[in-house]
Amino acid sequence: MKRTLPLIIVFSCGFFMIIAFFVPLRGFQDVSQTFQNWYTGVIAFFVFIGIFNLVKVNLDKIQRRLRDWQYSIILLAFLSMMMAAGFIGGREGGIFLYMFENLQIPLGATMFSLLAFFVGSAAFRAFRARTPEATLLLVAAVLVMIGRVPVGYWIWHGFPSLVEWIMNVPNTAAKRGILFGADLGLISMALRVLLGIERSYMGGGKE
Amino acid sequence: MLQVFGIWIAALLTLAIYSFLYKDNPFYKIAEHIFVGVSAGYWAVILWFDFTWPNLFEPLIREGNFIYVMPIIVGLMMFAPLIPKINWLIRIPLTFTMGVAMATVITQRVQGDIIPQLHATFLPLSGVSPPALLSNLLIIIGVVATLVYFYFSKEHKGILGVGAKLGIWFMMVAFGASFGYTVMARISLLIGRVYFLLHNWLHVI
Amino acid sequence: MNILDRIAELDRRIIFLLIGLAVTIPLLMPIGLPVDITKPVKDVYDKVESLPKGSIVVVSVDYDPGSEAELYPATEAFLEHCFRKDLRVYMIGLWPAGPALGNLALDSIAPHYNKVYGIDYVNVGYKPGGMIMLLSLGRNVGDIVRADYAGTPIDSLPLGRAVKSASDMDLVMTLSAGDPGVLHWIIYFKARYGTPIATATTAIMAPQQYPYLSSGQLVGLLGGLKGAAEYETLVRRKARAVAGMDSQSIVHVLIVIFIIIGNIILVYQRRVR
Repeated sequence: MKRTLPLIIVFSCGFFMIIAFFVPLRGFQDVSQTFQNWYTGVIAFFVFIGIFNLVKVNLDKIQRRLRDWQYSIILLAFLSMMMAAGFIGGREGGIFLYMFENLQIPLGATMFSLLAFFVGSAAFRAFRARTPEATLLLVAAVLVMIGRVPVGYWIWHGFPSLVEWIMNVPNTAAKRGILFGADLGLISMALRVLLGIERSYMGGGKE
Repeated sequence: MLQVFGIWIAALLTLAIYSFLYKDNPFYKIAEHIFVGVSAGYWAVILWFDFTWPNLFEPLIREGNFIYVMPIIVGLMMFAPLIPKINWLIRIPLTFTMGVAMATVITQRVQGDIIPQLHATFLPLSGVSPPALLSNLLIIIGVVATLVYFYFSKEHKGILGVGAKLGIWFMMVAFGASFGYTVMARISLLIGRVYFLLHNWLHVI
Repeated sequence: MNILDRIAELDRRIIFLLIGLAVTIPLLMPIGLPVDITKPVKDVYDKVESLPKGSIVVVSVDYDPGSEAELYPATEAFLEHCFRKDLRVYMIGLWPAGPALGNLALDSIAPHYNKVYGIDYVNVGYKPGGMIMLLSLGRNVGDIVRADYAGTPIDSLPLGRAVKSASDMDLVMTLSAGDPGVLHWIIYFKARYGTPIATATTAIMAPQQYPYLSSGQLVGLLGGLKGAAEYETLVRRKARAVAGMDSQSIVHVLIVIFIIIGNIILVYQRRVR
C-alpha cells in the first residue's frame, strides 16, 4: 500500500495525461486541466516545506551549538523580520519592499558578481591550451570574448559578423546535437518514472 | 533620508561580500546569512500572496469552491515526515507531481523541441548561395557528428571514430563560445555592482 | 627565479585588483566605444515595431537579483519601447523576485509615457509551476491569474479582462536567467499555442538559444548586458547597459591578456622540463 498506491498514482496520472494529449474529447480535457491546476497548487507546498526545513536545520544548529551557530541566529532573525514585514504590512508594504530593495537585491547581485574575480583568476592559472581540442576551445572563446564587445567592432568591423557566424553555425550544430541527446534521455527517464522503474524520487525506506 | 540610509546599508553589505576576496571573515558570513534569511522570507510571502491565497485558499474559504480541497490536502502531505507514523504519505504529492510533469515532458518535448529542431536541421543544399550552402552543410554535419560522438554502444573506430572526432571539434567550438559568453556574464554582474557603488552611493558618475 | 616564474606565482588578489580597476576606470572615464547592432537584437526590435497600437505584450520577468545587472537594463529598455509604441504590457513572473524587479522598472518607465495601471499595463505577480503553469495559462488565464500583484481581482482591471488565453497575447517577451524561463515558454507555450516568443537572457544562456533562433521558435534574442546595450541604442535610451560597455570591453581584453600570459608560461614550463 505504502509503495503500491504512489506507483498507481504516478502511472495513472501520467498515462491519463498522455492519452488526453491525443484525445480531444471534453471529459479528457477537463480532467487533464484539473490535474494541471492541482499540480501548480501542490508545487507551492514544496516551497513551504523547503523554508520549513531551513528553519528546522538552523534551529537545530543553534540548539546543539554546532560550528558557526551564531550566524544561524542572524539568518532566522532576518527570515522572521521579512515574513513579519510581509504578512503584517502586506507584500506592497513599506518595510517589506524596503528590505527587498536594500537587502535582497544588493546582496543577491553582489554574491553572483564575486564570480567575475574568480573567472579572471582562472583565466590566468587554468585556461591552458594543452591539447589541440583545448586550443580550439580557447581560440573560439577569445574570438567570442573580443568580437562580442564594442572593442571588437572597433578593431575590425567584420568581427561581430564572424562571431555571429560562429554562433549560428558550429555552435548551433553542436548545441542542437546535445539538445537531441538530452531530450531523448529526458523522455526515456520520464517513461521509466511513469512505469515505476525509476523510484529514487520517492525516497528510501523499507516500505 | 530613509532612502539614503537604505543605499548606505546596501553599499556596506556589498563591500562586506567583496571582503571575501581578501579572505573569509565574519562580515562576509553575516552578509551571506542575511541574504539567505531575507530571500527565504521573501519567497514565502510572495508565494502566499501571489498564488497560494488567491488560487487555493480564497476560492475555498470565500467562494466555497470545494474542488480546491484536493490540492491543499495533497500539498499538506508534504509535511507528513514530521509524524513518523504517516511518513510515507509524502510519496503521494511526489508521485502526483512527477506523473503530471513526466507526461507533459514526454508529449511536449517531442512536439516543442525534437520535431521543430529536426525540421530546422533539414536545410537546403541546392538553390542557395555558396556561403549559405557551406553553412547549411556544416550545420547538418555538425549535428550528425555530435550525435555520433554520444553513441557509446559501439567503439569509436573507423567511420564512427571519424564522426566522433568531428563531433568533438564542433563541441569544442560551441563550448569555447559558451565559455566566452560565461566570462561576459560574470563581468557584467561586477559592472552592475560597481556602477551602483559609483552612481547610487558615491555619486561620482 | 626569472620573471615568468614570478608571474606564474602571482598572488590572485593582485589579479582581483586588476579586474576591479579594469571595471572601475572606464566607468569613471568613459571611452565611448560605439555599440554595434546584431541581427538577433534587431529582430526583437523590428517585431515590436511591427505590432499595431494596443497590442498586448506579455513580459515575463524570470530572473532574480543575481542576474539583475544583466537583465534589468533590458527590462527597462524593452518597456520603454513598448510604451513608446502604445503597446499594452501584461507582466508576469516565473521566478519569485521577478515581478518585484519588473515593478521597479514599470514604476521607472510608465510615468514618463502617462501610462495608467490597469489599462495600459498590469503586473499579475509570481506564478509557480513552470511548464505546467504555462500550459494552463495559455488555455485559460483565469485558472492561474485571479488577482494582480497588489491583490486586486484581475477581472476588475480592463487589461486583466482583455487577456483570457494565449490567443489574446500578441508577443511574449521573457527576460530569463534559467529554469523555468525561455525554454519553457518555447517548448510548452509556443509549441501548444503558437504565440511568438522573444527573449533577453543572461550571457551564459545565450549560446543555447541559437538553435531556437535558427528554427524560428524564437523571434530574436538579447544576450547579456551587450544585448541590453544594443537595445538601449536602438530605442535611443543610453542608460546603464551602454555605460557598462567600455568596462566590458577593457576587462575582456585584460582576460585575453591573462590567457595569453598563462599559455606563454605553459610553453616556457614545458621547455624547462
